[in-house]
Amino acid sequence: MSLALATLLYEWRRYMAAVMALALSGLLVLAMTGVFIGIGKGFTAQIERSSADIIIMQPGAKTLFGGPSGVPRRFIPQVYNHPAVDEVQPFDMAGGTFQSVRDVDPTMSQAERAKMGAPKQNFVMTQIIDTNEGAVTIPTDYSEELVDALRQPYTVAIDETTLPKLGVKLGDKALYNGQTVTVAAVLSGYPSMMQPAIVMSRDTLRRVGQADTGPRVGPLMVKLADGSQPEIVSAQINAMGKGQWKAWTRDELAQANANAMFEEGILVIIIGGCVVLGVIIGVAITWQTLRGAIMANIKEFASLRALGVSMGSLRRIVLELSFWVGCVGVVAAITLTWLIGLLASANAVIIALPPILLIIVGGGLIAIAMLSGLLSLGILRKSQPADLLR
Amino acid sequence: MNAHTKVHGAHGDFAVEAKGLVKRFKSGRGFVEVLKGVDFDARHGDLTMVMGPSGSGKSTLIAALSGLLRPEKGQVDALDVDNLWKLSPGRIDKFRLDHCGFIFQGFNLFPALTALQQVETVLKYQGLSKDRARKRATLALEEVGLGPRLHQKPSSLSGGEKQRVAIARALAKDPKILFADEPTSALDGENGQVVIRLLRRAASDHGAAVICVTHDPRLEAWADRVIHIEDGVIVSDERRVPDPNAVLASHH
Ligand SMILES: Nc1ncnc2c1ncn2[C@@H]1O[C@H](COP(=O)(O)OP(=O)(O)O)[C@@H](O)[C@H]1O
Ligand SMILES: [Mg+2]
Repeated sequence: MSLALATLLYEWRRYMAAVMALALSGLLVLAMTGVFIGIGKGFTAQIERSSADIIIMQPGAKTLFGGPSGVPRRFIPQVYNHPAVDEVQPFDMAGGTFQSVRDVDPTMSQAERAKMGAPKQNFVMTQIIDTNEGAVTIPTDYSEELVDALRQPYTVAIDETTLPKLGVKLGDKALYNGQTVTVAAVLSGYPSMMQPAIVMSRDTLRRVGQADTGPRVGPLMVKLADGSQPEIVSAQINAMGKGQWKAWTRDELAQANANAMFEEGILVIIIGGCVVLGVIIGVAITWQTLRGAIMANIKEFASLRALGVSMGSLRRIVLELSFWVGCVGVVAAITLTWLIGLLASANAVIIALPPILLIIVGGGLIAIAMLSGLLSLGILRKSQPADLLR
Repeated sequence: MNAHTKVHGAHGDFAVEAKGLVKRFKSGRGFVEVLKGVDFDARHGDLTMVMGPSGSGKSTLIAALSGLLRPEKGQVDALDVDNLWKLSPGRIDKFRLDHCGFIFQGFNLFPALTALQQVETVLKYQGLSKDRARKRATLALEEVGLGPRLHQKPSSLSGGEKQRVAIARALAKDPKILFADEPTSALDGENGQVVIRLLRRAASDHGAAVICVTHDPRLEAWADRVIHIEDGVIVSDERRVPDPNAVLASHH
């Protein structure tokens, strides 16, 4: 085992401050970015988790919700002209008021009624699936029972984390835009973002009078007979459209949706601020910790110098030590963020940690540690072997 | 090649030869001269003892001889090097790495490393392979009687054992010149005796030029040569017949 690694393991308490500083810097950036990515993913989950291989929108659309994304209804049969296309359904969304209802027993006293609480009314976002088997609009993680439940008219499904907010539970009746619906299923993993969301079938949406029936529909969700090469088919569909639409593969759209988040000035400022803060905290504390650690071993370093070990070799020991401190910091940061993520998801906040984010932040933390190591090299000059001769 | 000092000298050949060493330190507005034109030499196979009261310049002398502290004047020839102080700092480091061992009053062992690792570390910087470094380090530690304690960290070693690890670390390189500065003054009589005997062996058995600085007159018994220095000047230089079985009686 190398001197640097042995020292880190043996004197781990001394390095805890640096490791914790790195972990907190990492947590700051990972959690912030993760929350924003999570929110973005929440908005687009209905499409990103669907079985749509290709999504067709207006040529000018940059993301699912950025700019005009709906298309004329006549595009649907045109898209079916491509031989590889299996199913085309328009993405539809609506919104309305959702009110829990209370069965009030007329014999109850006023006090008992007060204890039950007033019925709640919320504005909700309504997402739509088709209930025919394997429909393109059904998210791939929906169970068959869930789809069966929604197949009944006037039923809705609500994520478990949204239920309390809406004041309902499984089997409850509620008023959606004044019409009675039943909570027939509970979702998990679809926490609501800004606004509570409910899911219903296109049929139910039609019955409550909110389905798109006009000449314009939402983005088209396209399922291919063979979904293994969506890029090729997407290019062909684009050629077919002669510029009147633009086809995206699901991955392209997901990427564009995620990237769009980071074109929001305020997000860039918040995350940028976290990065700057994280770097300052990380470097300052890691630097001081390493300096202290070198000073604590300065006589030992000096004795190596006396025995002829060059200054360059001592510098390499310090840099190796910094590297290992960085590695431990990365592990601590990811563990901490993961724990916070568990806590957050128990409270309906998704912290998304895509591998690329982990790699970037991990690399950043190691760079911070190495930079701190470079800054603390100066202190090695104090390892004067002549000082050992007294 | 220089005319006097040699790398692979037989017992009695010169290993170090210094002429006219002057070393000054800043002190207030002026300077104090700590070495006042010292001529010094040491031979292969000799345990050369440098004695003198505290502050007389003993440590400064070996710092100048070993390339650790540049003297203002004078020349040091060591082994095959003519005028050590003409070399670049990197070359002086290399010279020490190849040829010099050091033992200090403090032990200066890394708290995280086992006895074996302390010794191996230096050998690896000398360019030895992992296996050879391990073998050499084990041998050196066995030679100082620490065979059973190879895997102990300094925290579980006694002061005498720590100093023996430091000696093993210096001897494992098989140095041609071994500098020791007050190697026994942090130890009790018994451990001090073990240490001085090891230095005696390094000279007799390995042919190293051992230069041992001390203010403890009882160590004289093991020396081939005793040099007294006072106030930066060598006042006496005598050869004597060492007694390898001398006893360092009481605690000092
Ligand atoms: N780096 C230094 N700066 C100033 N004075 C020093 C320094 N090193 C040693 N001295 C002085 O030089 C004198 C000789 O020191 P030293 O060689 O350590 O003596 P010894 O080892 O014989 O006790 C002492 O008076 C000491 O104070
Ligand atoms: Mg001294």
